[in-house]
Amino acid sequence: MTTTTGAMLPEAAYGPQEGAVKLTMLLGGVVFLLMMIFGLIMRAAQGGMIAVDPALFYQIMTAHGAGMVGTAGLTGAAILWYFTGRHVPLLAGVYWAFLGLFLLGVVCILAAIFLGGYAGAWTFLYPLPALSGGLWGPGASVLFLLGYVSIGVGFLLLHLEVMRRLMARYGGIGGALAWPLAFGKGRPEDAPPPAVVAAMASSVFNTLGIVVGAAVLVASIVNLLVPGFAVDALLAKNMIFFFGHVFINASIYMAVIAVYEILPEYLGKPWKTTRIFAIAWTVVLVFVLAVYPHHLLQDVPMPGWALAMGQIVSYFSGIPLIAVTAFSLIVYLRAADMRWDMAAALLVLGVAGWSVGSVPAILDGMIVVNKVMHNTQWVPGHFHIYLLLGEVAMAFGFMAWLVRRPLAADARPGAARLSGLDHGVFMAYVAGGAGFVLMFLVSGALSVPRRWAVHVPDWFLQDRLATLFAAMVIGAALIIVLRYTAVLARRAE
Amino acid sequence: MTLPRLSLAAALIAAAWVFRAPLEADPVTHILVQLPLLALAGALLPGARGTGGAWNRGGWAMILTAIFAMAFWMLPRSIDAAVSDPAVAASKFLSLPLLVGLPLRLGWPRAHPLLRGFLKAQALAMLGVLAFLYTHAPVRLCNAYLAEDQVRLGTGFLATALALAVLWVAPLLGAQGAAAPARRHRSVS
Amino acid sequence: MQALAASVAVVLAGLAVLWQATDGGQALTAERARRLTALRDMPAVPEVVLETMTGTPLPLGGPTKRATLVEFIYTTCPTICQAAGAEMARLADDVRAAGLDESVRLVSISFDPGRDDPDALNAYGEGHGADGALWTVARPDPDDLPALLATFGVVVIPDRWGGFTHNTALHVVDAGGRLRAIVDYDDPAAALTALHGVVQ
Ligand code: HEM
Ligand SMILES: [Cu+2]
Repeated sequence: MTTTTGAMLPEAAYGPQEGAVKLTMLLGGVVFLLMMIFGLIMRAAQGGMIAVDPALFYQIMTAHGAGMVGTAGLTGAAILWYFTGRHVPLLAGVYWAFLGLFLLGVVCILAAIFLGGYAGAWTFLYPLPALSGGLWGPGASVLFLLGYVSIGVGFLLLHLEVMRRLMARYGGIGGALAWPLAFGKGRPEDAPPPAVVAAMASSVFNTLGIVVGAAVLVASIVNLLVPGFAVDALLAKNMIFFFGHVFINASIYMAVIAVYEILPEYLGKPWKTTRIFAIAWTVVLVFVLAVYPHHLLQDVPMPGWALAMGQIVSYFSGIPLIAVTAFSLIVYLRAADMRWDMAAALLVLGVAGWSVGSVPAILDGMIVVNKVMHNTQWVPGHFHIYLLLGEVAMAFGFMAWLVRRPLAADARPGAARLSGLDHGVFMAYVAGGAGFVLMFLVSGALSVPRRWAVHVPDWFLQDRLATLFAAMVIGAALIIVLRYTAVLARRAE
Repeated sequence: MTLPRLSLAAALIAAAWVFRAPLEADPVTHILVQLPLLALAGALLPGARGTGGAWNRGGWAMILTAIFAMAFWMLPRSIDAAVSDPAVAASKFLSLPLLVGLPLRLGWPRAHPLLRGFLKAQALAMLGVLAFLYTHAPVRLCNAYLAEDQVRLGTGFLATALALAVLWVAPLLGAQGAAAPARRHRSVS
Repeated sequence: MQALAASVAVVLAGLAVLWQATDGGQALTAERARRLTALRDMPAVPEVVLETMTGTPLPLGGPTKRATLVEFIYTTCPTICQAAGAEMARLADDVRAAGLDESVRLVSISFDPGRDDPDALNAYGEGHGADGALWTVARPDPDDLPALLATFGVVVIPDRWGGFTHNTALHVVDAGGRLRAIVDYDDPAAALTALHGVVQ
């Protein structure tokens, strides 16, 4: 009799799976570009520059939301897998299963939107999928939700494998989260590296979100098939928000691993797990675990303050982590003589965008109490900061790093600056991105509602400027993705 | 070793039988007490020879058997029939030990840790769905039970999900968590 | 390989059992199942004699002149059975309007014959407008009750308030005494369609 199934596999089945990850990032880059073009179309339509039928607008919006969030998760997961693979052996088949299930889900979602006409937004907020006003059938909604289920199963497998290996290597969940250090018992030298802490925390986090998400997805599917099963709208909304919020946050928390693992190469010294760092990650986790289940149990209509509280707490829970990461980065950068290239610049931008993005989120969390900004473009404003300038910047940075020039060529610290073209591309991405999100925030402050296909001429100015800025971002992103593809192709020869 | 376990299993089945009237009077005790008792009894039975064979590699065949048997007993009409039809009642007392409890014991330790984790997550999500269905159904799902009992059962599913989540996650938090799975493997070999 | 074969066998067997147990995925609840049974197997209704609200005997089951629409109630029910009585009155009007009153009769049968004597039946009937001709209210002999409920698939359980909870529905029995359809008690349109189906 053999012992474990895992032990029977040849060692060759393990490895960082560079090829699979590179392929994932290629896919991710291309989808990011496509979805950005969708975003451009929406912004141009809102600015009255092109005519888009509202029905089509909402299909595009649904595709943009689901596609962007999904791809953010995909690229985050690729980063998680790649760098976790440096610390523990991982089962290659799991990654392929993850990728396969993800693509299957994408096919379902695209078919639901563009063949079935589903346009109930990526958040599938009950009862929108069922109330299409005749625009789409329940079949399209069910297909859309099944696509999510498939993607969720893939993520579940991936996280389970990561957690299992980290638990075995670092001594349970607590060990991998550096709890001994956090609670003042361990020494920093014995603590696991930052990537491990981040990988464990984001996996725990996302697994929980997926379990809740799976339940609400299946419940929504039942509701679509048997309309008599009226979903409790408030409960469903909470569960969906929990799932969506966790998923999108996890994608950033996974992507930050690239910062912890890559930037030290440029800084010339390792990123250390400090006590504060360990505490910050645990705080995020505890808040998510403790605050939300409490919410979900309340079957009675929730008072407004409870919702507002929940939002504020969930936003604030990320602050210590962001602060620690950004602060350490500043300290490291000051002390080191950075060797900048595209990868380093984008990764640093990612941390900056993530940090800056949390500020309007906090404002939103506070302002939501008097419900001024809530359904305005302030909301897409804040999340586009930490997604476009945060997660996506980190993902692009990781891509640039995967195809970087060997550092040895110009190893003298401080020698390699961003070259001319790189500099231009990077600046275009930053300036375009900043301008684009600023226009959302301005519109939000002027009470322009979000999710409106048609805007009144009063709002056209921001809409059109935003379209311009978006075009800049897309130009820069196009060059980043093209360069990545070209280098991969060249190396493949 | 086998004799005490065998008698314990027999005692559990006997208890489930003797107390079936009060247990089955309420769907919460019927589904969340009596059915698990019967499955537990099955898990205590000594495994027949040959269950470690190649056909049971990875535990798939046994786990799938248990899943299908559980799916059958998740049908509201099976529960109704178990109350009204003596033949179905008898099949309940046989199938839960033999097709749920025993196969789970024979399959689970052989299952890949990933499969086990996946199934646990799946079980929690399914209990959540059941909780939703039973608390929100617009009609009575079982003719044998009252609507208010149905809602209580739904709440019971939710409580079970939370209890299982705590039970499964708590041991993983500390360092002992890492060693536990390894110990389980060794006992299989 | 062996493991795969065993798993596939289990899956196939499992699917077959579930398929069988749900009538091909159509019925997950006993309520759906009995409705399918009526459509598919057309079970024969036991031949019994009821006592109506006027005290006259009324044969049920076996060949009759008219098709029968049966509903099970108890007259002291404060909730569903009162709503069901109102729905039945509406259905009686619809039956007359459709010109089916020569070929169809409606019977509300009490499953509480101990308490529902002809006086109680009469009170319920008068309260809801049962004329005794097209629509009457009746009770079975207590000895016939279990077989009757079993054939129709009606389950009566005590609620915690001294009354009963029961699966209320309209049951269509053709003139040959066979149960042909079961529809929701508040869906007179479906009942009318089913009646049309069995009278011609
Ligand atoms: C050039 C880049 C982008 C452009 C031009 C763009 C444009 C837009 C526009 C116009 C909207 C609708 C705003 C409204 O509600 O009125 C939107 C919504 C959204 N965008 Fe973007 N976006 C871009 C990048 C991104 C990125 C990188 C992500 C995530 C990784 C993202 C995620 C979302 C989400 C989740 C929504 C909400 C959809 C909904 O309300 O259902 N976007 N975007
Ligand atoms: Cu009643």
